Amino acid sequence: MIAAAPGLRASPALRTRLADLYGGYDEALAEGQYERWPEFFTEACVYKIIPRENYDAGLPVALIYAESRAMLTDRVAALRKTILYAPRLVRKLTGGIVLRSLDVDGMRLSASFALFQSLLNEPSTVFLCGRHYDRVVEDAGALRFAERICVTDATLVPTSLIFPI
Amino acid sequence: MPNWVYTDPDIFAREQERIFGGPSWLYVCLDAEIPNPGDFTRSRLGTREVVAVRGTDGAVSVLVNRCAHRSMLVCSANRGTVKEFTCPYHQWTYDLEGRLLGVPFRRGYRGQGGMPEDFRPEEHGLERLAVAARNGVVFASFAQPNETLEDYLGPLMLGYFDRVFSGRELKVLGYQRQRLPSNWKLMFENIKDPYHASLLHVFLVTFGLFRLDQESAIEMDDTGRHGVLVSRRGEQKVNEATAQMSAFHSDLRLADPRLLEPVREFPGDATVVMQTVWPNLIVQQQSNGLAVRQIVPIDAGNFDLVWTHFGYADDPPEMTQRRLRQANLFGPAGLVSADDGEAMILSQAGIAGNETAECLVEMGGRDIANVPHMVTETAIRGFYQHYRAVMGL
Repeated sequence: MIAAAPGLRASPALRTRLADLYGGYDEALAEGQYERWPEFFTEACVYKIIPRENYDAGLPVALIYAESRAMLTDRVAALRKTILYAPRLVRKLTGGIVLRSLDVDGMRLSASFALFQSLLNEPSTVFLCGRHYDRVVEDAGALRFAERICVTDATLVPTSLIFPI
Repeated sequence: MPNWVYTDPDIFAREQERIFGGPSWLYVCLDAEIPNPGDFTRSRLGTREVVAVRGTDGAVSVLVNRCAHRSMLVCSANRGTVKEFTCPYHQWTYDLEGRLLGVPFRRGYRGQGGMPEDFRPEEHGLERLAVAARNGVVFASFAQPNETLEDYLGPLMLGYFDRVFSGRELKVLGYQRQRLPSNWKLMFENIKDPYHASLLHVFLVTFGLFRLDQESAIEMDDTGRHGVLVSRRGEQKVNEATAQMSAFHSDLRLADPRLLEPVREFPGDATVVMQTVWPNLIVQQQSNGLAVRQIVPIDAGNFDLVWTHFGYADDPPEMTQRRLRQANLFGPAGLVSADDGEAMILSQAGIAGNETAECLVEMGGRDIANVPHMVTETAIRGFYQHYRAVMGL
């Protein structure tokens, strides 16, 4: 369920559509269907995974930074064809999704996420956790992310960050 | 190369004592991280925590982050601005040069308790390191080296260092940090090994950013401890060399080519200069992606890699944007660097349990010499020549 900030009027229909967007997004990642991942974004989207250390200090360097859906497609091509990595599964749990405001340039939402990593022949461990800060817009009849900023709590990444969040 | 150098805890302890605790100039931070008096940043030199802080006179002090009383960390923020450092435990207070200013209840209370009569505050400051700085980069040493930073680098390496750090004011763009279950030396070897880059890094190879068939060079200082790898960008085309690289994809295209639209900004035609400075610094210039990578050993099997990305204070917004885009190649999620992190993890996993086995480092021969090509491991041999001398192995 998508909660709304106090005083914000959001219809059950809108909340359902947002829940479908968030659920569908996580479902695509959970099933490893990375080719579907860019479809959840607008063409001119901004996507970032950035440590809170940088985010809070206004330092712009991110771990992953895309300025378009095409750059997300390139990231997927890289993880399929070019990046070397040891076999692993990364499981993501998203919770506490809140619709914070309805602005002229879209809906602003936040949520918390946790990622668990299971390297082959190793126990599952907490990999990263953090916050989503999102802007969602109507785009050709669907809701899509115009902006998805994933802010990680830890300053450091254990091993490597291969898959999108 | 015996595998036990990557796993033996006694070797690790000796490295901390002789290399990180010895007369080496260790990278600490960039001046631009602490521009004003009272600004501080934390850093780790080997396994020891330090704080670099700018004093009221503008000079940088590098202090061991350890209260003289009960060894507590006196500074637990990564950066900030202070007038003095106060240990949170018993509120011993130090000035920005590390001098002990105050001890609560030093004289006791109503004639009872307090520190002994012969307690001398001037003998209980924060431990101070020798400091050397050049063009915005701060180094420190636990043992006063008998050579200046410039002599330590040597004329050849100094030239490459000054290429990026020319004195132009720097601007910090942010940090990427990664913990790798691998020995810290494997990180140095990775940068000193151009042979792997053409084979492992499909992304670099495919898009011509770095490839064995490009005009390139491996150079070292006289000791072999510092090195530089220089190359020039090539084209995405099939030739005699790329035919041997299974990594080369002549048909792969970027959907958004803005990621790789570098502009020339340094004199000369080199587009990649990767410099390793003994024992904890890598200076990276790959296209417009500028960063220092600090190697922080944790134990024989783990190290942290801290990337500080920067540009120049007078960069136009388009150049900053370009650097941010190209940062996608680096760090724990780097389109190129993720390969290296994973390779080092797999190396350490293969080494563990096989300590009596050896690695072979004979690509390009068995000698140590500067060469105008990349089919060589000569810089790894240079590194270990110096390593053995320092370690007495």
